[in-house]
Amino acid sequence: MSRIRNTSNAPALPWIPRWMLALAALLAAAAFPLLVEYGVIQTVWIRVGTRALVYVLLAVGLNLIMGETGMLNLGYIAFFAIGAYTTALFSSPRFGFEVPFWPLLVMSAGLAMLAGYLVGLPSLRLRGDYLAIVTLAFGEVTRYTFNNWESVTNGPGGIPGIYRPTVFGYLVERPIEFYYLILVFVVLAVLLVANLKNSRVGRAWNALREDEIAAEAAGIHGMRAKMVALVISAAIAGVAGSLFAYYQQFINPTYFVFMQSVIIVCMIVLGGLGSIPGAVLGAVVLDSLPEFTRQSFSSWLPAIFGRDFMAGWPDFLRTFFLDFDQYRMLIVGLVIVVMVIFRPEGLIPDALWRREVHQEDPREQEHTLQTLFDIEEGKQDLEV
Amino acid sequence: MTPILEFKNVTKTFGGLSAVKNLSFTVDRGEIVSIIGPNGSGKTTAFNLITGIYQPDYGDILYEGQSVVGLRPDQVQGLGIARTFQLLRLFSSMTVLENVLVGMHGRMRTGVFSAILRLPSVVKEERKAKAKAKEILALFPGRFSEGRQGQPAQALSYANRRRLEIARALASDPKLLLLDEPVAGMNPAETMELMHQIRDLREAGRTILLIEHDMKVIMGASDRVIVMDHGEKIAEGIPDVVAKDPLVVEAYLGKRAASIA
Repeated sequence: MSRIRNTSNAPALPWIPRWMLALAALLAAAAFPLLVEYGVIQTVWIRVGTRALVYVLLAVGLNLIMGETGMLNLGYIAFFAIGAYTTALFSSPRFGFEVPFWPLLVMSAGLAMLAGYLVGLPSLRLRGDYLAIVTLAFGEVTRYTFNNWESVTNGPGGIPGIYRPTVFGYLVERPIEFYYLILVFVVLAVLLVANLKNSRVGRAWNALREDEIAAEAAGIHGMRAKMVALVISAAIAGVAGSLFAYYQQFINPTYFVFMQSVIIVCMIVLGGLGSIPGAVLGAVVLDSLPEFTRQSFSSWLPAIFGRDFMAGWPDFLRTFFLDFDQYRMLIVGLVIVVMVIFRPEGLIPDALWRREVHQEDPREQEHTLQTLFDIEEGKQDLEV
Repeated sequence: MTPILEFKNVTKTFGGLSAVKNLSFTVDRGEIVSIIGPNGSGKTTAFNLITGIYQPDYGDILYEGQSVVGLRPDQVQGLGIARTFQLLRLFSSMTVLENVLVGMHGRMRTGVFSAILRLPSVVKEERKAKAKAKEILALFPGRFSEGRQGQPAQALSYANRRRLEIARALASDPKLLLLDEPVAGMNPAETMELMHQIRDLREAGRTILLIEHDMKVIMGASDRVIVMDHGEKIAEGIPDVVAKDPLVVEAYLGKRAASIA
């Protein structure tokens, strides 16, 4: 009896409640820029942190579609691109528009949602590999469009000079201000997605993921539920794209390559599919890892072990650590392989996915053990 | 009074094979009707036709006088027809309680926007739904203790999974309940218990159509039996009479056995 209870329902970190961990993470994120302000770490870290927050938004959004409904989306970056380009086109000298922050944010999210809807119409009937291929194609088509539609997007040259946003009468200008602005949206997204997850809507998504036929027989309109998930996740990416464009002040198609979609998938796989804290952690770890490694080996470790602590090291190791960005995908791949072998449910797993990863096929699972404790509890008769 | 369910010359073929051939029958309100027949005789296909998983090639299926042909599974369920599956199709990673809550999906009103904002109405509906789910699970006394309701469905014994499938179907408060081999894999004591529970469901005003192999259940619980073989209805009537029908004996045991009997 106890054996079965333990494997099924034990929380990931049983000694601390989840909300306290979330609060601690929020406080840490809010306090982080102070380290830069007081000179504890270099100013580059504000940039690293802000970028990581953008990826947290993307990971939380993709998790909604991949983690909750189980649909593999390999073109997620396209929604991000649509949000970013909408903002860039309507708030820059390119065409002389300057739409204010809030309406433009809504427009960016709205166009991303519209794109999600249009892609969803034909493709949501597909599943598994087929859906992955269609979304991958969509991602590439979107990028090529932005790359080649020169009269509007200026092609590979990109769109420079995106205006600074004014939020509630306050001009957001310094990197640290962007950091907090995006942090607010991350917190909002996490709260709203958590609400959805724990509602009738989220339950329907989980049911569809586990058994589509049974879910529909239980009264769920599968197509509509999946469309809702796709459109909401597109909206989150659209918002992320808009904020990214404002922050970056310049965008071009190279920000939206296929590898970016793959990285976001890796982030949520690393963190734990279906898990919001997992998505946050995965995004922060994978996005800041290169800078963290570079800084470690170029300034922090030398400060501790002396300037020439790598003197005796072979060349390839030195370049590996100092040029870590070059090897990023290699390491990400390695990490994912190790994860899949040793902890397939992710770093901070979602309860449902943990069970799903570790279950035997229920139709073949032998139930002798259960029968035995049923008899023990007097809930089943011994006579056969 | 219009029958609650009526099959009118329904045919469904897969490739060259007729899974269901020109099938006609009716089920009246408050009845317990069993469909029996050898494996592959089209019983489960008939269920899939009612619930919108398949669409018939010919013929019509009426529920309370209205055609359900062309409706999606969730629309059919919304009309008041719920089913269980022969090969259990529980949401095995979800908890017992969540499985029942999914069955209530169509009866709940929470929309996407109110769910995102978690309005008070959402919290209230959720609480109500949980209370109702517990009530439904209590229809199987002693089987779904408080502790077990929080366990994943995959941790249940086989018999309890069958019961949970029925509970999930009941969650939508259906008028017509389709049970596909509800006692498969149960021992005789459990079978008897479920048989009584099925009768109780009828007393509570539901109509039940079931596919069954277990003779005890067929004889003990059903008012009427429909016998299928190779997709066709070969006999229909009260259980005792049908059991002696030479065509039925032949379908189950073969021609020679039938002549000896």
